[in-house]
Amino acid sequence: MVEENALTKKFQKEMNAGIASLALLSVMGQAKEPMYGYQVAKLLEDNNQGAPIMKQGALYPVLRSLEKSGLLASKVEPSVSGPPRRYYTITDTGRETLALWKEIWGQTKSFVDHILKGVTND
Amino acid sequence: MTNSVEEYLDALKKELEGSDSATIQDALVDAEEHLTTALESARETQPDLDEEDALDQIIEQYGTPEETAAAYVEVERRTFPGLTPATVKKQGSPLGRFFGIYADPRAWGSLFYMLIAFVTGIVYFSWAVTGLSVSISFAIFIFGLPVALLFLLSVRGVAWLEGRLVEALLGVRMPRRSLLPPKGTKLLERIKVLVTDKHTWLSILYMLIQFVLGTAYFVVLVTVFSLSLSGLAIPILQEVFNLPVVQNYDVHYFLPQWGYPLVVLAGILLWTTTMHLVKWVGGLHGRYAKALLVTD
Repeated sequence: MVEENALTKKFQKEMNAGIASLALLSVMGQAKEPMYGYQVAKLLEDNNQGAPIMKQGALYPVLRSLEKSGLLASKVEPSVSGPPRRYYTITDTGRETLALWKEIWGQTKSFVDHILKGVTND
Repeated sequence: MTNSVEEYLDALKKELEGSDSATIQDALVDAEEHLTTALESARETQPDLDEEDALDQIIEQYGTPEETAAAYVEVERRTFPGLTPATVKKQGSPLGRFFGIYADPRAWGSLFYMLIAFVTGIVYFSWAVTGLSVSISFAIFIFGLPVALLFLLSVRGVAWLEGRLVEALLGVRMPRRSLLPPKGTKLLERIKVLVTDKHTWLSILYMLIQFVLGTAYFVVLVTVFSLSLSGLAIPILQEVFNLPVVQNYDVHYFLPQWGYPLVVLAGILLWTTTMHLVKWVGGLHGRYAKALLVTD
């Protein structure tokens, strides 16, 4: 039982690795103005009907790694109260990459759906 | 479970122990930003909600310190497989641990901090004394009050700056508080906050004490450093430059050669011990600065 649980967790983690980047890049691609982490987390929460697939805290390192790869840019601005906030925007490279990633996602999705529906052997 | 954002950040820091320091910094900054913002919005939407309950709910969604730490480590590992720093292994042997201090960034940070405390101490002290005396002597004029208030405001700025310095060099987390009350606060209200906050006054005290501490740090460090260095230099000075250890008119005293290993060893031991001491004092100073400069 424990092993099955650990396996499932590992599977979820591995799936999330790519999906989180795609989802966040896509959110940033649609954003009209720079967004900070909490706004992104809130937006994802509001747009998710089922159980959340990942903790909000896990979004932040992904945002940072997207920035390190040059797909997002960020600037820190002081907030009215509390600590300063980091605002993210998508870069041009980010937009180009997003288009490619969407394509890959489309292919992957239809392939996996097709397999899951049942393979024919003729 | 977790009673305050501070507590969460401490737990997160503990979980991330041994990771790259930039990763730790990122994780702490992100968590502080998120939790504070979430708490604030919870306060706005449900004013009667219990603070601790609200925080528990927020953390439930954000992830436990353990989960959050794991997420950062995972992303770091994936992004830079080649660059992940080999975690500094704790040297096993006592000798290794003793000399391992030279690889400890915290010790070097403290050393640097203690040296520049000499300069910042002088600046803070002069500013505090000037500000206080000008404020007091202008008190008989109508424009005395604004001058005094401007001085107090500048003290808050200095406290913030010193906090950044302490956090960067001594590694003691200083909670980031905004310098000013929220927008829309009435001027009178702002002034009241500024004057009644005990940390404004404690910061002035800190600025005054920093002069004494900074001077003491500097004098002790320079003395010990010169002493250690002279231990290492004696053999070279005597053998290469033919300079005696003691020279008083025509009395020249040369250290006998069997004494060379002893003075060199003494020099090395003295400085290494001092590095340990520096790290310890740095930690103490950080805690003292936190107590005086920032509101909990």
